[in-house]
Amino acid sequence: MIIHAIFFWLFATVCVGSAVMVIASRNPVHSVLFLILAFINAAGLFVLIGAEFLAWILVIVYVGAVAVLFLFVVMMLDVDFAQLRQGFLNYLPVGVIIGGILLAELLTVLFGWAISPEIGKVITAPIPPSSEISNTQALGLVLYTRYIYFFQAAGVILLVAMIGAIVLTLHHKPNVKRQNISEQIARTKSSAIEIVQVKSGQGLSS
Amino acid sequence: MYGAQLPSLVPLLPGLVLGIGAMALLMLGVFRGQSFGRVVDFIAIVLLVVAGAVLVALPPGKLTTFGGSFVVDDFARFLKVLALIGSAAAILMSLDYAERERQQRFEFSVLVLLSTLGMLMLISAADLIALYLGLELMSLPLYVVAASHRDSLRATEAGLKYFVLGALSSGMLLYGASLVYGFTGTVSFSGIAHAAGQETGAGGTGLIFGIVFLFAGFCFKVSVVPFHMWTPDVYEGAPTPVTAFFAAAPKVAGIAMFVRTAVMAFPGITGQWQQILVFVSIASMALGSFAAIGQRNIKRLMAYSSIGHMGFALIGLAAGTSEGVQGVLIYAAIYVTMTLGVFAVILAMRRSGGMVETIDQLAGLARTNPTMAFFMAMLLFSLAGIPPLAGFFAKFYVFLAAIKAGLYVLAVIGVVTSVVGAYYYLAIVKIMYFDEPAESFYSMPAELRLVLIVCGLFNILFFVYPGPLVGVASAAASSLF
Amino acid sequence: MYEAIVLLPLLGAVIAGVISLVGAHNRFPGAEPGAPHDDHAAPLAAEDRAHGAPSADMAGSTLPHTGVEEPEHAPSAAGSLGAELITSTFLAIACLLSWYAFYDVGFLRNEARETLFSFIGSADLHSAWLLRIDPLTAVMLVVVTTVSSLVHIYSIGYMEEDPYKPRFFSYLSFFTFAMLMLVTADNLLQLFFGWEGVGLASYLLIGFWYHKPEANAAAIKAFIVNRVGDFGFSLGIFAAFYLTGAIDFDTVFDQAAGLVGKNIHFLSWNFDALTVVCLLLFMGAMGKSAQFLLHTWLPDAMEGPTPVSALIHAATMVTAGVFMVARLSPLFELAPNAKAVVTVIGATTAMFAATVGLVQNDIKRIIAYSTCSQLGYMFAAMGAGAYSVGMFHLFTHAFFKALLFLGSGCVILAMHHEQDIRKMGGLRHKIPFTHWMMVIGTLALTGFPLTAGFFSKDAIISADDVVQGGAAAYGFIMTTLAAALTSFYSWRLIFKTFWGEPYDRHHYEAAHESPKVMLVPLAILAVGCFAAGWPFVSIFTGHGADVFFGTSLKLGTADTIFEEVERLPIYVELLPTAMMAIGFLIALWFYILRPDVPVALARDQRILYEFLLNKWYFDEIYDFLFVRPVLWLGRLLWKGGDGFLIDGFGPDGVSARVLDVTKNVIRLQTGYLYHYAFAMLIGVAALVTWFMFAGPH
Repeated sequence: MIIHAIFFWLFATVCVGSAVMVIASRNPVHSVLFLILAFINAAGLFVLIGAEFLAWILVIVYVGAVAVLFLFVVMMLDVDFAQLRQGFLNYLPVGVIIGGILLAELLTVLFGWAISPEIGKVITAPIPPSSEISNTQALGLVLYTRYIYFFQAAGVILLVAMIGAIVLTLHHKPNVKRQNISEQIARTKSSAIEIVQVKSGQGLSS
Repeated sequence: MYGAQLPSLVPLLPGLVLGIGAMALLMLGVFRGQSFGRVVDFIAIVLLVVAGAVLVALPPGKLTTFGGSFVVDDFARFLKVLALIGSAAAILMSLDYAERERQQRFEFSVLVLLSTLGMLMLISAADLIALYLGLELMSLPLYVVAASHRDSLRATEAGLKYFVLGALSSGMLLYGASLVYGFTGTVSFSGIAHAAGQETGAGGTGLIFGIVFLFAGFCFKVSVVPFHMWTPDVYEGAPTPVTAFFAAAPKVAGIAMFVRTAVMAFPGITGQWQQILVFVSIASMALGSFAAIGQRNIKRLMAYSSIGHMGFALIGLAAGTSEGVQGVLIYAAIYVTMTLGVFAVILAMRRSGGMVETIDQLAGLARTNPTMAFFMAMLLFSLAGIPPLAGFFAKFYVFLAAIKAGLYVLAVIGVVTSVVGAYYYLAIVKIMYFDEPAESFYSMPAELRLVLIVCGLFNILFFVYPGPLVGVASAAASSLF
Repeated sequence: MYEAIVLLPLLGAVIAGVISLVGAHNRFPGAEPGAPHDDHAAPLAAEDRAHGAPSADMAGSTLPHTGVEEPEHAPSAAGSLGAELITSTFLAIACLLSWYAFYDVGFLRNEARETLFSFIGSADLHSAWLLRIDPLTAVMLVVVTTVSSLVHIYSIGYMEEDPYKPRFFSYLSFFTFAMLMLVTADNLLQLFFGWEGVGLASYLLIGFWYHKPEANAAAIKAFIVNRVGDFGFSLGIFAAFYLTGAIDFDTVFDQAAGLVGKNIHFLSWNFDALTVVCLLLFMGAMGKSAQFLLHTWLPDAMEGPTPVSALIHAATMVTAGVFMVARLSPLFELAPNAKAVVTVIGATTAMFAATVGLVQNDIKRIIAYSTCSQLGYMFAAMGAGAYSVGMFHLFTHAFFKALLFLGSGCVILAMHHEQDIRKMGGLRHKIPFTHWMMVIGTLALTGFPLTAGFFSKDAIISADDVVQGGAAAYGFIMTTLAAALTSFYSWRLIFKTFWGEPYDRHHYEAAHESPKVMLVPLAILAVGCFAAGWPFVSIFTGHGADVFFGTSLKLGTADTIFEEVERLPIYVELLPTAMMAIGFLIALWFYILRPDVPVALARDQRILYEFLLNKWYFDEIYDFLFVRPVLWLGRLLWKGGDGFLIDGFGPDGVSARVLDVTKNVIRLQTGYLYHYAFAMLIGVAALVTWFMFAGPH
């Protein structure tokens, strides 16, 4: 049990610390690396509460794909952070004040929070006991049944994101010559060459 | 444990029509090329009409499916029809623009269809997850179409601003939703309503904080102060047909989500969220009225106008009564017609040099194109809320509800700001009717004329026979309580 | 049928109005200021100013009368003939129907209530558009439609040269419609509607030649003076509603009996309720019927075209007040003090207007004062309780006064828009037909035996004689004396116009008889001057009146009046006739036998003459008492109140502040993304803070 607690504090502290460093570090590449660190620690926290499926998804998708993609983007874009930070100090005081107020208020609420005994009754989704069934299996049981609607909706959203990305970035410039393989393969002798009889002294007058 | 049986898809049918249709159109567009754009546009309009027909043909009464996440009641029917009308009109009005500006892109229609699908989902959403998914499905295409003139700096800027701020607002909404879930233990509106009725003390305050963040996200979508800042820039920067689309259908869906959440999920604590609404609607009415006076660009002006009008509409919700919701619904319906009509005129502001957008270009329109000027003037009078035009009744119903709910200050401020707001509408009328004529516009394309005349006549003649709309709105409002 | 009578004129008015609008549009295509056509339209408009007003440009010219159109003369609006024919035909049909209605209602006793549709229903207040056809209405229907149709036909000739004929006929028909609404009203509100409708029509027609400043001034004056009366009228309606809870006549009359002796408490005074109501309503009648103190507009109204004077300012509209008192007779019967006031005002007007009429020189003004005076007679009869007699005089007066006006129209046309009788003379040789018509009208007006006026006027004087009380005695004396004066000024008009030597040879030679279309209505009216008299005596006076009018008039004391009239000594019966003869003889002596006498008299009695000539200085007194203080006050409120206070702190100040606010608000919109995001955060933080400290508790 004590090991459990040690790891919880370890993961939690590193996670929050690296999250702070994501916005605090001056080098954008470092920021992304800290982001990856934060993700990994969050995955660790998931493992601690027995949600191994979410933990691996987090590592595979966020660390393996998203964060690495970020890394490439950041490295390719060559963002001048010094310029972005101009005026940062001007806004710092008022930003700190507003943020501080919000934080203080939220903390007040959180510390005063006691889970109402009634809440257990209003939970509508069935949670099978983890001893009987792994949580991957449990997710699989509801994802395509009870939550099929949400799942499909999320799919449509991703479709839109894809369309959007294509619409905004794909340029078909008219003057760029493109390779059309089927056309190349379908070429015949008659369509490819033309035999012209040139009379001497007249040249080609196409 | 859940069996393999698929929940009933019947309530979802209109959405399925749009979703499957959009994908089919996407295929059609991709494989037949951009030259098919116009066909795609027409089919998209047909799909929207079909979806509307299916919606109306659904069995009457309250239909729920997916474990209560998706609800089709009279409220949903009313607003869905409105959203479908708004989307269809937006596509219709984009036809001429796309052709003349060489922006023929079939993706526009597909994205509008998908966005409309998101609206339908949003309007029917009866839990927080469905709400968020619907909201994102509605918003994502909006970000894309706002930036769809990717060679235009203004459009790109508009799209980017909208996207970043939209993401921020989504974050707030999600944070609020997580707070609400944390304090009530459920995402379904009925469950939240049940739990919220019992919360007290710190839990109560926490729930309120959740509502504040949740509502902040809503406010962003319907563009009310102080979450409105994106509106003028995006309205101005986005291509005009896109702005016309922004101004109508998504607002309807946003209002629907706002009303349904407030009324269904938090009925026991009306007194709490009422304060939020009173604050934002006063701020919106005031800002919408004052800031619009200084605008020279008519799209920007319409942005502030929409901010003000959303403030007026939310008065009805602030009342928190069935009458108030009825007022909101009537307001939404009338607002859609007014906005679409005005945008039909804005889209027709085209002369030899291309599209123009400043108010001065309307000078002397009464002489160069009297019909257009007349309908525009009527719509502006209606926006200003001058009786007996429809806009007056829209305001009348929400003010009435506010007064009955004892919100006298709100009603009075509403009336005062609508007087201030009348200034800039009348200023346009003055420019159209009394200034020296500018060069005349190209003649109005038939579809714009159709939209303008239909909307104009609706606003002019509404007072003759308001019964049907008021009755339907009343039934729709009472289906929520 | 009754719908047809009332609505045909409206239809005609609308059609003629459309024709005139289309005509105006064709005449001035795009005459809006700043339009590209402006340069072209301006000379056109100027041309119209020069030629649109016949009295201004035809005074010295003979051209229009030879039938040759001046080349640059503004042509008649397109469709003029159509407008004339349509409106006149509709009126003629309405006239025939009205006579049938008169027979149907008056003799076959088929009274009717035709509900058109309901008008106002608000709490206790209910009012419907309802045509009430009873004998009283039937009399008025006949008078209005007959005179109106004749005037329409007459106007076809009289307005021949005017380019704006469709507008004229539209107004004329609209007037008729409003007048018919007035006389068919079944409640006070509809009565008021008709009342204001005729007022509007009167305003439009007096100012018909709006290029003439005098016409505009006269139109405005008529409107404003009538406002004073209408103010009283509307207060009267409110008071009636307050007391009885209804505005329809039947209910009001039913309730009235219970109100006798009740008081209205106003500020710290108590007034007798019915007297107050009656006097307030009578105030409206005074305005509309140009009674003493509110009479000043009527002579000025003669600036309008002469047919208008005949129709509105002689035969119909000005008698609306008389009609109203008759209609409200059940109320007045219960308020003897109010009746006394009616008599006194009426008698005073009869006398006052007659004295002023003695010395006027404008042919139309003389007749106008005569109208004023005759209206006084009618009120004197009403006040005495002899309502049917008053209506009788109204009925006969419509014919002979319309005849006189239309005849004077012929004279004016013959004299090229010269209206001063001193510049006429000897015209009986040039326009004999008009002369004889005028003589017939004058005979009727002065009450020559066997003419219509004889019967009605004698009845009034007799009625005033037999009624007890100071007011009636005053009425008797005044009306009797006025009879002599009436005779004098009427014959003075005839003698100076048609007899003696021509003043201006040139004009005299050019004078010619008017076209047939104008003379035929004259002839019809002349017949009416006789026919309206003795055949109707039995239904307007004596016991016949009781039978004829039934419940539509409250003839409470009238029965005894008629009985006593029959017992009057013969010298009283002959007195009015004798007065008429005296007046005639004096006029004959003054203007035919010894033309130098009146000149000398005017010189000797300079003050009296000036007093009368200046109409008892009423205009000057009103100018001093009301117009100038109001102008002063208006200027004060305009410059000081409105310009400085209201504009400074109101619209101008507010709009300036609004613009300041706007500037600041726009500055918020910086365009920076992080500002926008920050604004959202501030908004959330503010709301959260609000709930933290103030909200949920």
